[in-house]
Amino acid sequence: MEFTNETIDINQLPKFEEVHFSPLNKNYIKVVYINIAIVLLIIAIGIGVLIYFNEDFQNTQTYLVFGISYAVFALILYFSSVMAVKRRAFALRDKDILYKRGLLSTTTTIMPFNRIQHVAMHEGAFSRIYKLAQIQIFTAGGNTSDVKISGIEKEKAESIKELLMQKIQNHI
Amino acid sequence: MRLDFTTPQRQSVTGIIVMFADTFQSIVRQFWVLLLVILFKLKEDQYLVVGLGFLGLVLLTLVIGYLKYRNFTFYLDEEKQEFVLRKGVISKSRISIQLSKIQQVDINQSIIQKIIGVYSLDIDTAGTDKKEISIRAIDQRLALLLKEKLLDYGNKDEEALDDNQEVIKESKTFLKISYNTLFKVGITSNYGRTIALLVTFVITLYQSFKDAINAFEIDEKEVDTVFERGAGFFSAGILIFGLLVLVLLINIVRIFIKHFDFVMIKQKQSLVITSGLFAKKNTLLNPDKVQITSYSQNYFQKKFRILDMNMKQASSDEVKEQKKKSNAIEVPGCNTEERDEILRIILGKIPQKGNQYRSNFRYLIFRTFSAVAFLTVILTLLHYAEIGNMDLYIPLVFVYLCLISSLIYFGYRNHALYVNQDFIIKRHGAWDVEHEIIEPHKIQAITAKQYFWHKSADVGHLILHTAAGDVDFRFGDYTHIKQLVNYWLYQVETSEKNWM
Repeated sequence: MEFTNETIDINQLPKFEEVHFSPLNKNYIKVVYINIAIVLLIIAIGIGVLIYFNEDFQNTQTYLVFGISYAVFALILYFSSVMAVKRRAFALRDKDILYKRGLLSTTTTIMPFNRIQHVAMHEGAFSRIYKLAQIQIFTAGGNTSDVKISGIEKEKAESIKELLMQKIQNHI
Repeated sequence: MRLDFTTPQRQSVTGIIVMFADTFQSIVRQFWVLLLVILFKLKEDQYLVVGLGFLGLVLLTLVIGYLKYRNFTFYLDEEKQEFVLRKGVISKSRISIQLSKIQQVDINQSIIQKIIGVYSLDIDTAGTDKKEISIRAIDQRLALLLKEKLLDYGNKDEEALDDNQEVIKESKTFLKISYNTLFKVGITSNYGRTIALLVTFVITLYQSFKDAINAFEIDEKEVDTVFERGAGFFSAGILIFGLLVLVLLINIVRIFIKHFDFVMIKQKQSLVITSGLFAKKNTLLNPDKVQITSYSQNYFQKKFRILDMNMKQASSDEVKEQKKKSNAIEVPGCNTEERDEILRIILGKIPQKGNQYRSNFRYLIFRTFSAVAFLTVILTLLHYAEIGNMDLYIPLVFVYLCLISSLIYFGYRNHALYVNQDFIIKRHGAWDVEHEIIEPHKIQAITAKQYFWHKSADVGHLILHTAAGDVDFRFGDYTHIKQLVNYWLYQVETSEKNWM
């Protein structure tokens, strides 16, 4: 049996922080816009109903309070969502998949192929309009380490899924 | 009964009684409201009808129990390496489990089973619903044999298995926990948990007491003055002393119930653990399936020379969410030599601490900030609730600050990560100092995280995801963390070892 046991130079190992990440599809932001719009609409209807059925609220002061907090909330939601989407990115390497996200933080999760248990692909109603899909990757690490990557072109998502499945098969 | 598991077979005949009891229990559990209503609304002329109805229910349950028994079969498919279980009366199900997916086989005994003299055998796998795979009535000899078979799938050497005697001869007891040690464990461990339990208990008691007062329309003022006078009589010292004694007592009783007659036996490559006062629990632990091994010790335990050990196994998501530690096997009160022996069996060798990595001082700032923020929130709430005089809380605030600052300080001092080629050891805890040991090839995924305000200070967080939960290291040097992540990825991706 041939046996080698060379010393490993930690600094020579491939660096995950220097990998080139690919961002989500540009159209995905439109899906996010739609989602934001729906959330805002539901809240607006809720407030409207609240004011309509509650005569105590029918004065200028309450309108002002509701109006301003609604606008502030809408702006925060809009900017944080857009920023968050822009900061999401993923990368595939020979032996693992990386997913980077986070608004205040930069969070990178790395899943080696030989630890992936299962891969799922989801297509949301709005994502389908732009031919986008979501990939969900499961490891035995539980929900904290399961990764969902939204906003990938459907064909690309399918090929990634194929690739991952193939890699999993090879390991069993 | 034959000792051949390759043909489908039923449970012990007495299993009908267990099945009956189970069914009856579940019916009562589902319809207890209805049953109570019927019982209370009962008029004298309806006794006969209800009595007959009840008899009918019992008979029906008996029939269901019998059918359940008839339809419940299990066998071992040696060709496919599967354990197959068929069950169900109306909707039938066939469950097959790959032997390699079996995590753990437990043999337990409830009170009903104890009376009849049978055991239940539960099979735990990673992923499937745990309760599905349970044989409710099996005699002890058969249970032990089946357990052997189930966990011995890799071993084609069947000779030893035909003869139960030999299996037992081969095994040797190497850890037995005496009453003395259990007593020591009882007075030194789990203060936090017991105090929390006690506080909830007292609060619920107080609540129901108040409810009772409201219900009986007792004059509240009178009761309040009684309370105040009572508080005057009992000085705070006595109260605290009483509480401490109570905590210790509860702890001792709990430890004794759980770990009574704790015996650990080495059987081939696995460990067999039996313990329990009322319900005997028999657990088999396969070293390969342990994901995180940890041991902890506090100041008192150090003086008594005892340690607490925990072996966490892979668990399905549902189990994980319900109770974090359900899949952990605990060894209370072993000494250093016994710990090393267990570590050697589970990890192959005694792990050495490698390079040390410490947290940045920002860890202290963060913890202090959260502690102060918590205090502020509580005080503000109290202020607005206008409960009593705020001056009363000043000594309490002082005690809280002393306690929390020492907790933070010691927590910081003990927070460290040790890494070498074979092991990752995380030390943490202010009072109970815990060492968590992971082998790099058991890592499932790694997360590295850095907040933008930590960028210039080069500080970041690290989370290692394993099948038995996460282990994190916060406020470390981010350059080192990145280096470690790359190293572990290299180890995971080149390792041929199976994680379970």
